[in-house]
Amino acid sequence: MSSESLPISGLAGLETKPRPTWIEVLHEWLVTVDHKKLGIMYIVYALVFLVVGGVEATILRIQLAIPHAHFVSPQVFNRMFTMHGTTMIFFVAMPVLFGFANYLVPLMIGARDMAFPRLNAFSFWLTAFGGLLLYFSFLGGDGLYGAGSTPDVGWWAYAPLTSVAFSRGHSTDYWTISLLVSGFGTIGTAVNIVATVLSMRCPGMTLGKMPLLVWLNLVMSGMLLFTITPLTAAQLMLMIDRYMGGHFFDTQAGGSAAIWMHFFWIFGHPEVYVLIIPCFAFVSEIVPVFSRKPIFGYPIMVAATVCIGFVSLSVWAHHMYTIGMTSYENAFFVLTTLAVGVPTGIKIFNWLGTMWGGKIRYELPMMWCLGFLFQFLIAGLTGIMLGAAPFDWQLGNSYFVVAHFHYVIVGGILFALFGAFYYWFPKITGKMLDKKLGHWHFWLFLFGFHMTFDFMHIPGLLGMPRRIYTYEAGRGWAIWNLIVTIGVFFQAVAVLMFVFNMIHSYFRGRVAGNDPWDAWTLEWATSSPPPEYNFAVIPEVKSRRPLWDLKHPEDPDWKYE
Amino acid sequence: MRPHETHPKDQVELPAPTAWPVILAFGLTLVFAGLLTSAAVSALGAVLTLAGCVGWFRQVLPVQQHEMVPAPHVAEAAPVVTETPDVARMKVFRDFHRARIPIEIYPAAAGVKGGLAGSVAMAVLACLHGVISHGSIWFPINLLAAIVFQNSLALPESYINSFHPLLLLVASLLHIVTSILVGLLYGVMLPMFPRRPIILGGLIAPVLWSGLLYTSLGIINPLLDQRIEWSWFVASQIGFGVVAGLVVVRQQRVKTRQFMPLAVLAGIEAPGILEEKDERSEEK
Repeated sequence: MSSESLPISGLAGLETKPRPTWIEVLHEWLVTVDHKKLGIMYIVYALVFLVVGGVEATILRIQLAIPHAHFVSPQVFNRMFTMHGTTMIFFVAMPVLFGFANYLVPLMIGARDMAFPRLNAFSFWLTAFGGLLLYFSFLGGDGLYGAGSTPDVGWWAYAPLTSVAFSRGHSTDYWTISLLVSGFGTIGTAVNIVATVLSMRCPGMTLGKMPLLVWLNLVMSGMLLFTITPLTAAQLMLMIDRYMGGHFFDTQAGGSAAIWMHFFWIFGHPEVYVLIIPCFAFVSEIVPVFSRKPIFGYPIMVAATVCIGFVSLSVWAHHMYTIGMTSYENAFFVLTTLAVGVPTGIKIFNWLGTMWGGKIRYELPMMWCLGFLFQFLIAGLTGIMLGAAPFDWQLGNSYFVVAHFHYVIVGGILFALFGAFYYWFPKITGKMLDKKLGHWHFWLFLFGFHMTFDFMHIPGLLGMPRRIYTYEAGRGWAIWNLIVTIGVFFQAVAVLMFVFNMIHSYFRGRVAGNDPWDAWTLEWATSSPPPEYNFAVIPEVKSRRPLWDLKHPEDPDWKYE
Repeated sequence: MRPHETHPKDQVELPAPTAWPVILAFGLTLVFAGLLTSAAVSALGAVLTLAGCVGWFRQVLPVQQHEMVPAPHVAEAAPVVTETPDVARMKVFRDFHRARIPIEIYPAAAGVKGGLAGSVAMAVLACLHGVISHGSIWFPINLLAAIVFQNSLALPESYINSFHPLLLLVASLLHIVTSILVGLLYGVMLPMFPRRPIILGGLIAPVLWSGLLYTSLGIINPLLDQRIEWSWFVASQIGFGVVAGLVVVRQQRVKTRQFMPLAVLAGIEAPGILEEKDERSEEK
């Protein structure tokens, strides 16, 4: 067995401190600027909202399970789908990905913290308070006016539904202002990740030797700087309309409802890539380790990501084919939408190329990634179908679109995220997640996912529009909706098992050790969980797999890169 | 701790924890939340925001505040080891069957040269057609430009037979760009037609292409379809194909990496297949 050491320390030799009181622990987390603690707070915060958003989704599905159901009122139904969409995108997906980026990027580049640690804390708290403000609308939405409650305008908040005439009280303002506040936090984190990656890499880590996760988070953060700003601008314009009598989106006073759509989707579609690119990053780290081979086509993977970053900024209006654009605009957005599938396809081939000929270990992180690969491919294919304007004219705003979108978000993003949890949980906590519970979680969730979202395409094809409160019997939709709803319960049980697994394993799990997966990137060189300073001495790397070089000094990577 | 101040080797300098970011974030949120609730909430938020800004500035100015964290000595570092030190090699079959992909191709420059030469041949034939059939060399040029300026086809014959600088510019651009692209395509395709490439590339391909256009142009662009004389069209296409093909096949071929095994081409397993670098050269 080869045995080398990086100048990276474990916790050996440290004096044992007395157990802190809970108030000391609370204070420590409240004032921390440590990227790892902030990363964990992002992740825990997102997991709480995942459960909340999941409950909202369950309410929606129970309401739609059978025709003419009255499980909730139409008003509550509208609030639920608005809060579900907003929560899942802004307060689950983005924070959890930021959490992983916060935790992993400095460790992977051999740094002790982010470039701007205080800005990092500020950004997290803005995101956190933004989410709390949104949910405060349940209590304070009625306000002094006795009108409104939680937002009910959908997560797109299309004009003119958001105008004062159609949205009384402050419900829409809660939506606008909470996203505005969390948007500032998002911009702060994006700036921080870009600065950290560009200026904090350890000696020897050129851009060409960065782990793919770091590269992909750099691209994601760069994209965010371009995409969050139009949304923030649109939110400010909407506030001017609602508070100061402006007319940006008031069609009867020279404004334009379509302008809101453009602003929203210039943010909204790249946002899908902002969410999926970090998941590509997880898969790009996990698949090689469990295939026991280096990533196939590293430079092409980087180039494809950068390409996706650029092209995805030019596809937004494929969400707007049905508003009646000119044939030139339709043609442009069809072409760009189809074009963005090319680099994405390259990535799928590269992951398959990585697995090809490898000694694949079917551990839980790998299983989630395999699920991701299959489902993301299907999601991409239905995306290409919807990217063709004539097809979209037929199925736009139907449940087919909802099924496609959830195939991306759940089948793609959530599967990769679960893979990331199983892969890095040992590093973050020092404990392994329970394997048996993990298998239950995987298979139940996989079954529930396919039961829900495979069959959700069918009522869409049969003409069922999205966001309807209920429907007539005899249209052929009922049986499919019932199956879809039953699938949700499998997923809910699986997620609860996952939450239980994390809590149980944190307290009683098997000790993980520094490097339980025999992996190759720098975070596995330090102890689990890592010390505050990450590395006692900043490491120096010579290849993309520094730990491989140490473990195999007779056959290091740097000879071939 | 001031920057550059020396500190013990078993301690690491980290940014000091601070409450000001959370206070500032809470204050800003309250400023906005006041728009939803009461001006008093905004006022409280403004106070907290101000306090947060001042506190934060005092944290980082004139020098950032740090804390010293004890760290074990480097010598106590945990070793990086693996349970699986053996490295397996992928098998590579060097006599891989590669019959369908050429092992020699023409460089891109050959395609460009062929395309340009073909464009001249096509232009000569087209202008000849204009002079013989319509008494004007501008007829085929204006016809080509009508792909962009479709309305010009509805104008009288005298307009299409006369000189128009803009139409000449557009037609020239279309002709040259398309010719170069088709030439590049020839450069790629001809090595794949080992038997009589000139007949395939110069005759059969133009006839097939013309047939496709003949059947579809009436739907795509009926006005243009009415103006085209197909015998001359086919002749100019063949002229292009033969000349471009002849120029391309006279260029020097270059070897591809197709003879190498797929694993090498795909970069699947670099160690053991690709040439290894020397350690000293790496250090340089």
